[in-house]
Amino acid sequence: MKAVIKEENIMKEGRVKDKVFVTTDVGGTFTDLVYLSEDPKTGRQQLKTAKSDTTPPNFELGVLNVMDKALVDAKQIDVMAHGTTVVINALTERKGAKTALITTQGFRDVLEIGRGNRPDFFNLNYQKPPAYVPRHLRFEINERVNYHGEVTQALELLPLANIIRELEDKGVEAVAICLLNAYKNPQHETLLSNAINALTDKLEVICSHQISREWREYERTSTTALSAYVQPIASRYLSRLHHGLQEKDFSGQLYVMQSNCGVDTLKSAKQVPITMVESGPASGIWGAAELGKIINEPNIIALDIGGTTAKCALISDGEVKITSDYYIEKSHLSAGYPIMVPVVDLVEIGNGGGSIAWVDDFNKLHVGPQSAGAYPGPVAYGKGGTAPTTTDANLALGRINPEFFCGGELKADMASVQTSLEKIAAPMGISTQDVARGIVRIANNNMVNALKLVSVNRGHDPRDFTMVAFGGGGAMHAAALAAELGIKRLIIPATAAVFSAWGMMMSDIRRDILLTYLSPWEHQTLVFINEQMAQLYQELSDEFISENFTSKDTRFQFFGRFRYENQEHSIEVPLPLILNESSIDQVRESFQQLYKQEYTYNLDNEIELVGLHLVGKADVGKVKLAKQQQSGRLIAETIKGEREVDFAEDGVHTSVIYDGDLLEPMMAFSGPAIIEQTGTTIVIHPDQTVFLDEYSNVIVELLKNKGGEHV
Amino acid sequence: MFNDDPITLEIIQNSLRSISDEMFYTIAKTAMSPIIYEVLDMATAITDPKGELASAGAGIPAFVGALDKSVKAIINKFKPEDINDGDIFITNDPYYGGVTHLNDVVLIKPVFMEGELLAWAVNIAHWNDVSGKSPGSMSVDATEIYQEGIRIPAVKLFVNDEPILSVFDMLTANSRMPEFLKGDLWAQISALRLGGIRILSLVNKYGRSSYVHAVENYLELGQAMAEKAIKALPDGQYEIDEAQDDGSHLSVAIEVSGSKLVIDLTQAPIQSPLPINLSKDGTMLACQMALMGLIGDRQLANGGCFRVLDVKTRSGSIYDVQAPGPCGIYFETMIRLNDLIWRCLAEKVTDTLPSGNFSSICATIMGGKHPDTGLHYSIIEPEIGGWGAGDGFDGANAMFCAMHGDTFNCPAEIAETRYGVTVGQVALNDEDAGAGEYRGGKGVVIDYVIRSDNSFLTCAYTRNKIAPWGLNKGEDGSVNRVEVIRTNGEIEVHAMASEVTLDTDDIVRVITANGAGFGDPKKRKTAALVDDINNGYVSLEYAKAKYGFDVTHGGSYE
Repeated sequence: MKAVIKEENIMKEGRVKDKVFVTTDVGGTFTDLVYLSEDPKTGRQQLKTAKSDTTPPNFELGVLNVMDKALVDAKQIDVMAHGTTVVINALTERKGAKTALITTQGFRDVLEIGRGNRPDFFNLNYQKPPAYVPRHLRFEINERVNYHGEVTQALELLPLANIIRELEDKGVEAVAICLLNAYKNPQHETLLSNAINALTDKLEVICSHQISREWREYERTSTTALSAYVQPIASRYLSRLHHGLQEKDFSGQLYVMQSNCGVDTLKSAKQVPITMVESGPASGIWGAAELGKIINEPNIIALDIGGTTAKCALISDGEVKITSDYYIEKSHLSAGYPIMVPVVDLVEIGNGGGSIAWVDDFNKLHVGPQSAGAYPGPVAYGKGGTAPTTTDANLALGRINPEFFCGGELKADMASVQTSLEKIAAPMGISTQDVARGIVRIANNNMVNALKLVSVNRGHDPRDFTMVAFGGGGAMHAAALAAELGIKRLIIPATAAVFSAWGMMMSDIRRDILLTYLSPWEHQTLVFINEQMAQLYQELSDEFISENFTSKDTRFQFFGRFRYENQEHSIEVPLPLILNESSIDQVRESFQQLYKQEYTYNLDNEIELVGLHLVGKADVGKVKLAKQQQSGRLIAETIKGEREVDFAEDGVHTSVIYDGDLLEPMMAFSGPAIIEQTGTTIVIHPDQTVFLDEYSNVIVELLKNKGGEHV
Repeated sequence: MFNDDPITLEIIQNSLRSISDEMFYTIAKTAMSPIIYEVLDMATAITDPKGELASAGAGIPAFVGALDKSVKAIINKFKPEDINDGDIFITNDPYYGGVTHLNDVVLIKPVFMEGELLAWAVNIAHWNDVSGKSPGSMSVDATEIYQEGIRIPAVKLFVNDEPILSVFDMLTANSRMPEFLKGDLWAQISALRLGGIRILSLVNKYGRSSYVHAVENYLELGQAMAEKAIKALPDGQYEIDEAQDDGSHLSVAIEVSGSKLVIDLTQAPIQSPLPINLSKDGTMLACQMALMGLIGDRQLANGGCFRVLDVKTRSGSIYDVQAPGPCGIYFETMIRLNDLIWRCLAEKVTDTLPSGNFSSICATIMGGKHPDTGLHYSIIEPEIGGWGAGDGFDGANAMFCAMHGDTFNCPAEIAETRYGVTVGQVALNDEDAGAGEYRGGKGVVIDYVIRSDNSFLTCAYTRNKIAPWGLNKGEDGSVNRVEVIRTNGEIEVHAMASEVTLDTDDIVRVITANGAGFGDPKKRKTAALVDDINNGYVSLEYAKAKYGFDVTHGGSYE
């Protein structure tokens, strides 16, 4: 499966064809593309980006459109990586398949019972989120495996034929199987799945152990049910996309972006499509990590501000953290639904460019979580929005240029923006300018709190980190947020507007196996733990070998999840591939250090192993990014003019406006300034300096920054 | 440029909430006891220097207004010159600001800036075992508080940021599970330290006067919100009397007058020799919880909200217990009181509240020897049950009661590993009850198969005879109980029991009530009823009997 330069690519003259990588990312509003080609002889590279509209429900059309728009010849592509929102859309819009569930006798209601929690706890009219599989489509089967993984009651397959008949009569398309303690021994799930496949070929069948090997039956059942629910639609989508590309004579390798910051093969993605659920944010965060590696910044706080939400994640020493503690639709108002698959550890809040500002009964100003979305969008779109959004406030403060709105494609309706701000100013008894400032300040405060959750709250001092900001709104707010957190350096990537697609280009194949494995951490248990680790390693490396990756292409990394005996939550500690006697003390020491960093104290209690986490990566033959050339353009040629800009806490200043599309490596200037480039506006506060690095990334230095607080 | 404007005040208020939440998650992540990290039987708060609640981070509603009372107890007991930077205080005694029972341990830290007391950071968490006559410290037959564990009467735990080791030693010596105790204690300490640092950096950023103003403004906001909710109710005097499982009666008199809510509990029974008593602070808490149920907003629950409330109790009654009355099972009295106020409001005052739910903590305590490890295990858990229906919606299935909130049940796979019991089923309670135009939600049936001899069960369930109350012709729900199914097939039924012996292969079956219905069952939409029958939520017989379901005209069912 590995991308190699194909023989037919060696042209008649003996010249080797350019190596071509393309990534496409389907977002809620836009489908983005990044194209990178490299002449293998000269190393000369060409980087192109493009955007076109997302085309629901036939998302593959948008992908083919954006390729046309960027004049990409599918035939020339060696590797294409693709990210899509098709899974999260099917889940949130309830457009998945009619799904049934088979569980152990006595446990079919687990999916509906959930964990019994009520986050909005003073709301006595709280409604639980309804189960994706209704009770009449949930079936039980006699079998039992105990927590050691021993079969204590044999699997009774006799009633299965009747169940299958009923499923077919009811028009069920997908079946989820989740049996108790299957994380420890999946034998009965496998037998059951085989038996179903022997009885019918009309049903997609998915077992819990194929997705998750961790304990907690509700979370695993929910994961399996939701996975089955999206399986048919996602699998059909990926087939249509592949087919559409093939019709354009694409013959390269197609990879699919996952939520764990890696890509995977088309075949694997089709088997367990639920792992695509957070692929968009994951590729952006991975992009930040890879960008950090290129420019030698291993410690990064990544911030992605989109239309509806802001997401942030912490990258420590070049590593992103992957966990299986992921939910959809969870908020302080709803328990949401758990999906226990490897997802990049991020914090998401309902604050984006489209977040609506509103005043409550007590004249308090709030921003979000309601969003104006793509339609009607911010008031300035002139499409009927009447409540001001964060974007409208940024326009009113002169940060966004009304004449260069949406990259010049739209003229902002400033009269309506003013009217919408007046509606808030009146009850609060403040000016419209103060309302606009207030919106930006409150939005910033919400984001600062989210950024603290991934940093100070986990024992990391933001002052030791560099911020990488991207997404439509990232560059607009990042300078103020960095200042507040005491961050000294902020980077707006050259490809900030299509950063998820760019991040995908930097991804390897990545597979995470998370396994619940309880064991005391002592010399006597070492041999068993090693056995279990060797088995996991073998499993994953066999998988890679069967896909024609050699050991040269693959890398493996082990983590153990540890806690003090009897605690619940665990901390991940790196492990060597094979443990030896000295590992016991070394790991204990690392645990103590990491634990103290996060929680400020240590205990002398014993520690125990709760789980193993194996990461396997396989190289897809990435291109190493080349530095950009300077054309000799003068900085004066990039200046578009000046205007008054309101920096809220930092005052109102006449600011120079730069054309970001003309900026080149090694240019430098200082704030107050605005950089307008297609797809993003960068706000530079007074006392901040800017230079462009060799890759045209915008580097903002906050040398005088005295913000931040102790961990 | 900005320091006292409305936006700055709001940012400070938001930050206070984030700090309370951050303290909360610190405890949740580091505590040893499942009752803390899964049941979230804990809370954190920031108060003003006088002990008025500025912001609370809580997993459960019952603890939102608990912590201000503990702070006030410290202020009352200690002279100002004895409260210093670097101190941490500790209490668990309801007669010394501990509010609830001895298992709930409160840690309190004054936050100083340049010698001036600016705030208090405080938290509470349920410890597994604080000694006393029974494992787990809660027994249903204690007659004095001395039997319920070590009394910590609001003493110092830290001075000058240094632990007072003799107090630590005394605490650890008084627990059957000292390792758990140490872990939980340090989780709470770590959260307080963090809270202190965060409060100071907030004050540093915005200035002392903005901070103080923001807290005052926040309390006024809470008060305005509560006043608005009370003003929406019709003025008047309302009374209710309800029969209880044990044949006694409880009553409450409520007066709504403008923006004031007076709850009169002076007619309460005299304090009980059993541990079902509430301290006056605990009673206040139950009333505050009922008030917040009317307001419905978790974000803005602070001391200002409680200013509208006036609660009258009689010293020496179950709502104002005097020492040495026992309090271990206070929570059933608290939920009964909360439910009674709720019922009074729902039946007589407002249309915004749903009908009655299973309304019991259903505290289930089991212990014994883990058959595989040989170690002692102890299960202490509240149960989930059926909620009542409201105007326009069916009751929720299987949720924790009103006193609990963002509480998580224990997964069967974890219970089997940790406790060595076999979980036979986790199912919705299929008993028919709670019919209505909107029907009651389902309780649960959970089986624990015991795997070692000489294990025990202690339980404290109410709503065992008197079922959840229906509204507007909605039917009542069913009742809570625990069955012990012996290997010879005999079934014992329990609601309040202490240390029932369990042997190998005995089954403990927890059955929680189905919630009550709302509105006339005959008015239920046929499509909804057919759906209920197909899903097994309503039996065909019950549909015919209560809903008037006509098989020939009712559409298809299976």
